[in-house]
Amino acid sequence: MLTRRAVLGGMAATVVARPAWAQDADWKKVVDAAKKEGKVVVYNGAVGMPVLPKVGAAFEGKYGIRFELLEARASELRERICTEQASGKILGDVSHNGSTTTALQLAEGTFQPHGTLPNGKRPVAPFATDDVRIPIYVIPYGILVNSEMVKAADEPKSWKDLLNPRWKGKLLMDDMRALGGGAVFFMVTHRTFGKEFHDKLAEQQPHMNRDLRGNFPRVARGEYPVYAPFATPDILELKGLPVKLLLPAEGLPYVRFDGAIFKGAPHPNAARLFLDFLLSDEAQLLYGGAGYVMTVGGLESKVSGEAKTLAQPKLLGTTDPKLQEEMLKLAKAIYK
Amino acid sequence: MATVEVTHAAPALGSGRLARDVALGLLVALLLFLTAYPLAMLVYGSLHTTPPGEAGTFNLDGYAAMATRTNAIVLLNTVVLSLVKTGLAMALALFLAWIVARTDTPYRDTLEVLVTLPFYVPPILTAMAWGMLATPKGGLINIAWSAVSGSREPLVNIYSYGGVVWHMMQYSTPFLFLLMVGAFKSMDPALEESSRMSGASAWTTFRRVTLGLMLPVTTSAFLLSFIRGVESFESALIFGSPVGIEVITTEIYHLIHHTNRPDYQQATALALFIMALMFALVAWQWRLLGGRSFFTVTGKGYTPRVARLGRWRWATFAFCMLFFVVTVVLPVGQLIVSSFFKFFGFYRWSMVTTDHYASVWNNRLVWRALGNTLLLGVLGATATMVLGGLIAYVLVRTRFGVRRALEVLAWLPWMMPGMVLGVGFLWAYALMPGPVQLYGTLWALGLAYVTLGTPLAVRTMAGAFAQLALDLEECSRVHGAAWWTTFRRILLALAWPAFAVGWILIFFIILRELSASILLYSVGNEVLSVVVMRLWTEGKAGQVSVIALVMLALVFLFRFAERRLVRTHLRS
Repeated sequence: MLTRRAVLGGMAATVVARPAWAQDADWKKVVDAAKKEGKVVVYNGAVGMPVLPKVGAAFEGKYGIRFELLEARASELRERICTEQASGKILGDVSHNGSTTTALQLAEGTFQPHGTLPNGKRPVAPFATDDVRIPIYVIPYGILVNSEMVKAADEPKSWKDLLNPRWKGKLLMDDMRALGGGAVFFMVTHRTFGKEFHDKLAEQQPHMNRDLRGNFPRVARGEYPVYAPFATPDILELKGLPVKLLLPAEGLPYVRFDGAIFKGAPHPNAARLFLDFLLSDEAQLLYGGAGYVMTVGGLESKVSGEAKTLAQPKLLGTTDPKLQEEMLKLAKAIYK
Repeated sequence: MATVEVTHAAPALGSGRLARDVALGLLVALLLFLTAYPLAMLVYGSLHTTPPGEAGTFNLDGYAAMATRTNAIVLLNTVVLSLVKTGLAMALALFLAWIVARTDTPYRDTLEVLVTLPFYVPPILTAMAWGMLATPKGGLINIAWSAVSGSREPLVNIYSYGGVVWHMMQYSTPFLFLLMVGAFKSMDPALEESSRMSGASAWTTFRRVTLGLMLPVTTSAFLLSFIRGVESFESALIFGSPVGIEVITTEIYHLIHHTNRPDYQQATALALFIMALMFALVAWQWRLLGGRSFFTVTGKGYTPRVARLGRWRWATFAFCMLFFVVTVVLPVGQLIVSSFFKFFGFYRWSMVTTDHYASVWNNRLVWRALGNTLLLGVLGATATMVLGGLIAYVLVRTRFGVRRALEVLAWLPWMMPGMVLGVGFLWAYALMPGPVQLYGTLWALGLAYVTLGTPLAVRTMAGAFAQLALDLEECSRVHGAAWWTTFRRILLALAWPAFAVGWILIFFIILRELSASILLYSVGNEVLSVVVMRLWTEGKAGQVSVIALVMLALVFLFRFAERRLVRTHLRS
């Protein structure tokens, strides 16, 4: 069985270019060692993410390695990981979290390099694997409207249409003053349209909260006609309700989810194997089939059903971890 | 007010002084580990720029940052909201307890179970139900009001101070009722009869004798509920925050969950400040009750006096049923209905389904979590009540110098907001030196639950012990019974109804506990609250409804079993 030190040494060694046959042989050793480790423990900050257990089951089916999933909200997960690392009692192997939190943890030295992954170079621009992180999938944000209350002619076609006086007091929004979709929307639209967009949006007196799952039914029941930002994959779960997803012309703000291996992971080979599996066709199509945007290109045509329409949206931009704190403060100042 | 100076000598805990000192030492050591250790970690966190185990520096920034005008307003908001909520819930609970325990209202036994049920419905579900019923835009109550009156102005708005108070009362009223109804029942009518014979009116007797004798129970219950109100956050977060109504706990929540880096230094400082304020309140209660006796259960046999209400007994019955309908039938009815529809709150024939039941039935994680939770619930509630009973005994029945320290230690976890205390547990157990590994095991969850339940167990048992006259215990001791036999066969036996109520309350606190659970559970050790949060976040409200109904079925089972046990016990 490969030791942790041997794995780290191996990861460093893979920086040097190796012939393909040698890489295949090296990877087979990783697979064998992973099977001996017997399990991989994934810490997931996207609580209730329905695809991940399916991806885990597919991984188990393919390699016979047990997939164990621990979920908690991003802040709680981060505290657990910090405490595990400080105490040396590390239980988790792989982080599955938003790119902003992952970037912050990277700066804190939470992860170890994953070494060469056979699928590591598959993500397409603007997504790319680095020494530590792999981009797994993307959640874009659009607008949800009540289709019985909002006529086709009145549907917002641009983000700026939310400033129409018609929507004053009628906008339900994910809270822009807190981490989450609201903060992503705030940062990206602030960058794109400037502060005055938000000054005007604040005058619309949006009702803001973080009760995402409670908000969809409120729109469907007609309590509010418009909800934004709305995670586009969620529309697949709302079939049968009088709601409609709108994709503004400028494009969609998005958040990327990354994978990385914790420093001192107790099952480092299984962790590497799992990261690699996340970039396989099999795993990517599971994400694509659930309406998420895949980071590996060329698979869109293989996505079936309604999810196909969500697979290649026009993307507007994402968050910059360095600006997150400043943006949250600004949002709190604008939306009092 | 009937007061008697306590002049009895302190009974020894064991046959010898050494055994007593060892037993006390162990009790103090256990409490220090359970409560002082996690709290010490939080004090460290409030004074250090980074959490324990990480490089950083000591400073007072956390405390300095909380001294703002905004926080002062938020604190005032918090206190007023909790006071109003506790005051209204107390009045309602007292009235309901009086109806159930001291009147000839029909079907009192059934009513006693029914009025406690709201306590066991998950807050997130009642929040969703009341959100649908009382939202100003399209709430069912407002639609009905508009249809009847023609008014375009909403009648009720759940997103308001009133809405927050109302939602909090759903839990406070049955909680207070449960804590007080036992005391109403275990009261010798001779004291009230003496008052009436001395010329006092029924109202004066009720106010000065009945309520006076219940002072340890009512003040404890009031404090428990008030402090819980200060520390609860679901109602304020769901119905207050969206319209700018913030309380201390939502501020702490924002500091932990809604900032770029969780600000644990300020969050722990704020929580410790609140704990200090709450402690001042408890000290005031000690002063209020100090040196007085409230014995209502003596060696003499008695039956509590029951007021004959005549025709009014049907009015009191209707009042209890109204409370039951509004706080249970509406939200639970919605749970039942929603569990058979694809989407929560959308009732169309095309959406009727039994998929939620099938999904829960086939979900291995739910079963594993249910097994873990029941194990932790049963063992945890029993251990907590035994520990609480022992501590309460030392507090109420002895004069050991260490008892004040025990009382302080036993109170502290109740005064600390759960989401912060959960972090204290994580830091304490994960960073614990030595060969014993708690982090990542069921033990960590079990110990955290015992810590969280101990304050309630102590208050419940102390209130019951305070009503038991010392002669009962002395009689047993004089007849040669050992201390443990006396404790078990006299004190616990007579305080059995309070023990049973405390057990049920703690069992359900464990069942619902999330803040500590989410930080301490590990793969294989999942508990129900974590699974429910997972399903809820996934948008599976129908499955959450099914699990809530299972929990409610458990409540019925436990409540009726408990009442049967109590009855059998009392008969024997």
